[in-house]
This record gives sequence, C-alpha cells and structure tokens, in this order.
Amino acid sequence: MKKGKAAIRILILLTVIQMLQNLLVPKYVTQFREGALTGEYYANAGDNDVILIGDCEVYENFSPVTLWEEYGITSYIRGSAQQTIWQSYYLLEETFTYEIPQMVIFNVLSMCYDTPEHTGRQSQREAYNRMTLDTMRWSASKWKAICASMTAQEKEQGGMLTYLFPLLRYHERWNQLTQEDFTYCFHREAVAHNGYLMQTGVKPVQNDYVQPPLADYRFGQNSWAYLERIRTLCEEHGVRLVLIKAPSLYPIWWPQWEEQIEEYAASHNLMYLNLLEQQAQIGLDWNTDTYDAGLHLNVCGAEKASKWLGKILMEECGVPNRQKDAQLCARWAQKERAYREEKGE
Amino acid sequence: MKRLWIVFLAGMVLAGLVGCAVTEHQTQEENWTLTLGQIQITLGTPAEPVVTALGESQGYTEEPSCAFDGLDKTYDYGSFYLATCPIDGIDYVYRIWFVAADVATEDGLYIGLEKGGAEDICGKDCFRNSNACIQIQGNSKRMVLLKDDRVSSIEYTWIVE
Repeated sequence: MKKGKAAIRILILLTVIQMLQNLLVPKYVTQFREGALTGEYYANAGDNDVILIGDCEVYENFSPVTLWEEYGITSYIRGSAQQTIWQSYYLLEETFTYEIPQMVIFNVLSMCYDTPEHTGRQSQREAYNRMTLDTMRWSASKWKAICASMTAQEKEQGGMLTYLFPLLRYHERWNQLTQEDFTYCFHREAVAHNGYLMQTGVKPVQNDYVQPPLADYRFGQNSWAYLERIRTLCEEHGVRLVLIKAPSLYPIWWPQWEEQIEEYAASHNLMYLNLLEQQAQIGLDWNTDTYDAGLHLNVCGAEKASKWLGKILMEECGVPNRQKDAQLCARWAQKERAYREEKGE
Repeated sequence: MKRLWIVFLAGMVLAGLVGCAVTEHQTQEENWTLTLGQIQITLGTPAEPVVTALGESQGYTEEPSCAFDGLDKTYDYGSFYLATCPIDGIDYVYRIWFVAADVATEDGLYIGLEKGGAEDICGKDCFRNSNACIQIQGNSKRMVLLKDDRVSSIEYTWIVE
C-alpha cells in the first residue's frame, strides 16, 4: 500500500515537472519560428524522394509544394537556423532511420564554419543550437549532434544536462512568459510547409554586399570530415547526394570556396549546382524576389528556384513524378491548401 | 515524501545555478582604437556617435541573421568599411577594414606597405610562415594580410561573446 502511494506521488511530481517544462520551453510558433522546423519533420516522415538539408539557405529558398505541383516530386527540407555541417550530418543520419529517400541535396555554405567556435557570436550560437536540437527526437543521433554542437561556454554552463532536461536551461523564462507559452503548452501548430518557411515580403537589393578578405580560404578539416561522412552515409544507403549553393547574396560565397567544392564534387562524381551562377536562367529579379535585400528569397523567388531545381531533378536525375499515386495526391492536396492559405491565394 | 521534495528543491537550486552562471571574459587591456580623419573609433563601443561623426557614407548594407531580430550594418566610407552589430537594441562598432592606401593606422600600416615595413610595425615573428599577422588587444583583434609581399588588407574586429 505504501509502495503504491509513493508511486502515485512520484508520478504526480514527474507530471508537475513535465508541465513546468512544457510551459517554460520556447514554443517557436509566432516568434523565432525557425526553432520549430526540426520537430515538424516527424509528422511528415516517409514517402519523400528528396531530402534537402542545410541552413536558412534551404528552408527559405526552396518550396517543396512547388516541386510537387510542377513535377510531382515529393520532398522535405530538414533545415534549421544556421545549421552547421555536423548538425546536418546527424539530422541526415536520423532521417535515414525514418525513410530512405532517392536523393539528398546538401547546401554547402555551412562548410565555412569549421567548429562551434567558428560560427560567430557565441551567445547566438547557443540559441541556434537550441533551435536545431531542442525539438529533435531523442536518439543516438541527437546525443551525438549535441556533443558535436556545444560551445565551450555551453559545456561550462551545464552542458548535456540542459539538453536532457530543458527545464534547467529555460527555468528563468518564468517572468518572460507570453500568451503563446500558454496557448501552445501542449500542442503546436505547424509553421512550415514540408520544412519550407514562407516569407511573403519584398525588400529589393540596394547595394553590393562586402566582406573583408580572409586570411585562409581553405575549408577546415572538421568541415571536410563531415562532408565526407555525409557522402559516405548516402553511399551506404544507396542515396544519391547532390551539392548545391543556394542563390543567397550574403554571406559572400568566395571563388576560392567555389573551387574547392567543384573539385570535391568532380573527384567524387557528385552533381554540384551553384544557383548563384544560374540567376538569369532561374529568372531571379532582386527587386521583387527577396524579402531581405538578397539574403533569402521570398515565396516568389523560392518558387522560381524550385521550378529550376525540379526540372534538373526530373530530367537529369530521374526523380519520379508521383502524382499518379492517389494516396500521395490526397496528402499533398492538404499541404497545397495550407500553402495557398498562407500565401494569400 | 520529504526526501522527494528535497530532491526536487535541490534540482531547482541546481537549475538556478546552471542557468545563472556567467562567464566573465574581460581583460585589463583596452580594445583597439583607430583615428580616422579626426574621429577616434574604439572597437566594441556604441556605433551611433561614430557613424554620426563620420558623416554620410557612400554605401550601406544591412545583413539580418538567420533568425534573430536586429541587423548587422556595413557602411562604406570609400577608403574603409565600418560594420556594426546589434546587442540589446544598440549597435556597436564590430569591424573596420581598410580598402585603400589613403588611410593608415596610428602605427603606420596602410594598404600597399611593403612586407618589411609591416614587419617593423607588427613584429617579424607575427608573419612567420604565414601571410597573416593577428594581434589581440583587449577584446579585439587586428589582422594584417600580405599579398605579393605587400599589405593587402588591414582589419580590426571586436571579439564579441
């Protein structure tokens, strides 16, 4: 009898802790929507012939709904804010436990961040890590992704423990709670369309972007090692890997970086598409197709980029048109509706 | 049950300690300061007075981050660029880099200066086996690059946590 009461008390205690945690963790529904992207995949896992991985250059520049509507290609973007290459690798490793696509498309910009310390301001890095990793389901891949991602500062301030128990990280949010935290305490609404985060604004490019020259343009050893792991992982699963550079004007994609990726792609017989070099063919207009002056495309630009990409995937890579599959059509019809609704059509 | 609550409270205390730990990263040294024209610019200080004093720029770009509010800003002053970054709603001087020979650092570095001259200023060891010399001062760094045995780039950056 005593044991029974103790068990009930433990259960109540755990429930209270869980509820507190649910309340205090960021919801990523109206603010910092990027933080919801990783977690939204699980409801959409399976039947995706193409998986795109990378940072905002994929989740804001390509539209899976357009790929479906124009070519019948099923795809999902496993993107997240400033996703590093080690995170891409572990997200891909995890994805392969849910489905084996025909093709993986990896955006190569993250090659320039060799270690967590190379990724810019450390206070933002921690927040970016959270946005990518917090909603990832627990698995060996998540564990390894966290280990690879933590900055020295994160390790000093609780490290893995704060990922295992997010309450430890977010307890101090109690005085910053908003209506969103209560509304989405137990459920979330999807913010993306198969991983695509729609932007409908327009802000034309005004001036050319500049950055100071680098001391060394060689990608770091860690980046190369993870690119090689991505390639090998795809090879082991019989998945074709395609490398892309999305058409974003900033951060600057240096010619020296381009040469290294071209060389790597050629030496491993990989297709590499640099969309920055295909702007005219894509039909990009920097007065109308970007919402932030050229860093990312708006929905109009993303649809153009997707049409261009889809044509190559279908004609040159043989990715099939799945529009004859009634079940898939029904599922995608729902996605199209949500997409049209947000687009305002 | 008491023990359970003790464990729970201990957990909360631990949580408090974990979340509130702050890493202090300060040095006694001042950050790099440049004098461009009549204007003194110190890395890591509020940018607004500097931008006002420098007057209208020849060009200007804004670079949002992947997800955060606030904009990195870059001002083109012809001979040099000034980049700022926002922290808690205030823009700070984040980076300055020279692109023409008509501006020089206070210790005499300028674009086009011969390697020997740069070594005299930065120290011979700084360029050892490399085309780059990086010098840290306070929470800022100066990077001087050589190309064809001449200074090709001079860049100051605030090391922001």
